[in-house]
Amino acid sequence: MKEIADQIAARLKEQGAEVSPEAIEAKLKLLVETFHVPTDEARRSVMNSFLKEHGIAPTAPRGSQELKIIQIKEAGMWVDIKAKVVQLWEPNSDSISQTGLLGDETGAMKFVKWVKADLPPLAEGKSYRFRNLVTDEFQGRFSVKMNRTSQIEEIDEEIEAAERVPAQQVTVDSISQPGIWVDIKAKVVQLWEPNNESISQIGLIGDETGVMKFVKWAKADLPDLAEGKSYRFRNLVTDEFQGRFSVKMNRTSQIEESTEEIEVGSQAAQFAGAIVDIQKGSGLIKRCPICRRSLAKGLCGEHGKVDGLYDLRIKAAMDDGLSVQDVLINRETTESLIGLSLDEAKQMAMEALDHEVIRSLIEERLVGRYYKVEGPRIDRYILVETIDVMPPLDRSELDRLAAEAEVV
Amino acid sequence: MVIFSREVARRVFAGELRNSNLSFRVGGDGPGDDQHQYAPTYLLTPTGAKCNRVFLVGTLTEKDDIGSDTEYWRGRVVDPTGSILVYAGQYQLEAAQILAALEPPAFVAVVGKPSLYEAEDGRIILTVRAEAIQKVQEEVRDRWILETARLTIERLKALKATAGPSPDFTTAEHAVSIPDDVLLRARAHYQTDIEQYKEMVRKALSSLKEGKGAAAGGAMPPEEKPPEGKPRGGAPKRSWLELSDEDEAQDVETIDMGKRR
Repeated sequence: MKEIADQIAARLKEQGAEVSPEAIEAKLKLLVETFHVPTDEARRSVMNSFLKEHGIAPTAPRGSQELKIIQIKEAGMWVDIKAKVVQLWEPNSDSISQTGLLGDETGAMKFVKWVKADLPPLAEGKSYRFRNLVTDEFQGRFSVKMNRTSQIEEIDEEIEAAERVPAQQVTVDSISQPGIWVDIKAKVVQLWEPNNESISQIGLIGDETGVMKFVKWAKADLPDLAEGKSYRFRNLVTDEFQGRFSVKMNRTSQIEESTEEIEVGSQAAQFAGAIVDIQKGSGLIKRCPICRRSLAKGLCGEHGKVDGLYDLRIKAAMDDGLSVQDVLINRETTESLIGLSLDEAKQMAMEALDHEVIRSLIEERLVGRYYKVEGPRIDRYILVETIDVMPPLDRSELDRLAAEAEVV
Repeated sequence: MVIFSREVARRVFAGELRNSNLSFRVGGDGPGDDQHQYAPTYLLTPTGAKCNRVFLVGTLTEKDDIGSDTEYWRGRVVDPTGSILVYAGQYQLEAAQILAALEPPAFVAVVGKPSLYEAEDGRIILTVRAEAIQKVQEEVRDRWILETARLTIERLKALKATAGPSPDFTTAEHAVSIPDDVLLRARAHYQTDIEQYKEMVRKALSSLKEGKGAAAGGAMPPEEKPPEGKPRGGAPKRSWLELSDEDEAQDVETIDMGKRR
C-alpha cells in the first residue's frame, strides 16, 4: 500500500501536485480495506481525486509520454509509442477488437484494442504511432490497452521490431508462467487427435525434466512433427490452464529436427481403482504411417488418405471413488491384458466385419475390475507401464475396517 | 478448448442408496438449486456422498424387459445391505444388450447415474441408469464391499465431525474431503442416524467375514438372506477392536474358526 502511495505521490508531483504519501495512503486504505475496492481501481480513484483537488484534468491525456517498449515498467500509465504490429492473435473475448504483439527496437509487448474504442483496424507488419495507450500488468508482464481516447496513425517509417522479448532457452519443468516466449529442446512424446480445425497438431513434448502439452496452430504453417523424434523449438509461447502449462507454436516459431536423442523424464505415478470406462479410440485402431496419428475413417487429419498401420491401445478411466484417473495402455500391455495379439485382434475384427468387437471385448474383460497401474504421468494420463489386478481380499484390512466401523 | 472433467463414481451401499431422496443441480459453487440446463444433477445420500455417478458391484438377481415398443431392461442388483433397480434402454444400448444377455444370478459391476422417480403410490424410488454393466468375478464384489465400507466409514467420520454442540470443522480429519455444507445439508435433510449406517457397514463387512457362505450365493433377495451376524454378544466386537494392537494373526485365526462353524 505504501509503495502504491509513493508511486501516486510521484505521479502527482509530475503533474504539479504536492500531496503527502500519508494522505494518499489513508485514502487508499479506506477504499481497499474498508470498501474492498480492487487495488487498481483504488489507485485510479485516489489519483483522480487528488488531481481534481488540485484543479488538474483527471488522467490528463496530455500527461501521456512517448516511451520505448522497454521503458514501460508500470501499470496504469498513459503512454505514446511508435511500434510495429508484429503479430495479431485471435481475440478470446467479444469485447476485444484486436489483440497481438507490438514491437519496437527495444522489445515487444502484448496489446489489446477494445471494441468500444472504435479505432481503425491494425495490420500485421505495419508500423503506427499510438497515442494515449494505458499500460497494464499481469504477473509481471506489461501490456498496453487501446481505449476510446487512444489515437492510431499509420506511419511510413518502418520500425525495426526487436526479436520480441528474447525467448529464453528453458526446460519443461521450469515453465511456470503463461505468455512467455521460450526456446526448448524436446521430444514429441505423443500426438493426439486435434479436435479443432485451427490446430494442425496437438500432443505432448518432453525433455529430461518432464512432459507438457503443445499446440501447433494450423496458421503457423510449420513442418509436421513425428512421434518419438526430437526437435529444437524456438519462439514458442507458454500458456496455462488449470495450473498446467503448455506451449503454443505459432507463425513466428521455428522447428528444427535434432539428432540429439532426448531422454524424456517424468514422475512415476500410481493409481489403484476400478476401470469404469473404456473410451472412444480404444481397441483396434489404424495410425498414419507418417505421423502415427490415429486415423478417422481411414483419413489422417494431416496427410489425408493413407495406408494405415494397425495398432491396439486402451484409453480408460479409472476411479477409486474419490477421484478419476485417465490411463493409456499401449499395444504390448493391451495384448497381455486381454490375451489377444494384434494379429488375432485383426483376425477377429475381420471376421466380425467390425473393429468395435475389440473394444467390446476390452470392456467385457476390464470394466468393473480393480487394477493397480504404474507409469509416467503425462498431462492428464498415466502411460501405463505395469498393470496388475488388485490382489484378493486382505483379511487384515477387513479386520481393520471392522474395528474402525466400531469406533466411528 | 474446454475440458470437462469426468464425474467420480461414488461408492454407496444399496442400503444407503435406497434411503436417498434428495437430488439437486449444481451450477456454480456448492449445492444450490440452479436452473442452468447443463448443470449436473447430484444425488445426496444420508452419509453425505454427493453422487452424479455411482459404481456398484453386486449380484444380479433378476432381469426383465419392461419396454413396450423398444427393449427396456431392468435388473435388480443386490449387495449385503439391500437391492437397487438398474435400468438400461435405447439410450444405454450397450449396457442394455449386455444386461439382456446376462443370466441371473451373476455378479455384476454397474457404472451408472442415480435417478429418483416417484412411484404411483407416491414413494420416491431411487434407480440407477446403467452406463456400463459387466459380469465380474466374486473377488471384484468382495473388493467393492471392502472399498465401499471404507469410504462409507470415512463419510460417517466426516459427518460425525460436523455434529455435536459446537461442530469443530478445523480439526475434522478425514481422508474423504467433503465440503461441510454438503455434510450439513445431508444431516439436515435426513437427520442421519450414524448408528444405523454403522450397523449397515458392519453387516456388509461381516458378510465378507462369513467367507463363502450365504452371501456369495447371492441369488436370494436380501429379505431372505440368512440373518447375518451370528449370535455374537459384545465379545466379537471387543476382539475386533483388540486386533489392531494385540497378536493379530492369532486373533484372526480364532475369529475365523468361530465364524466358519
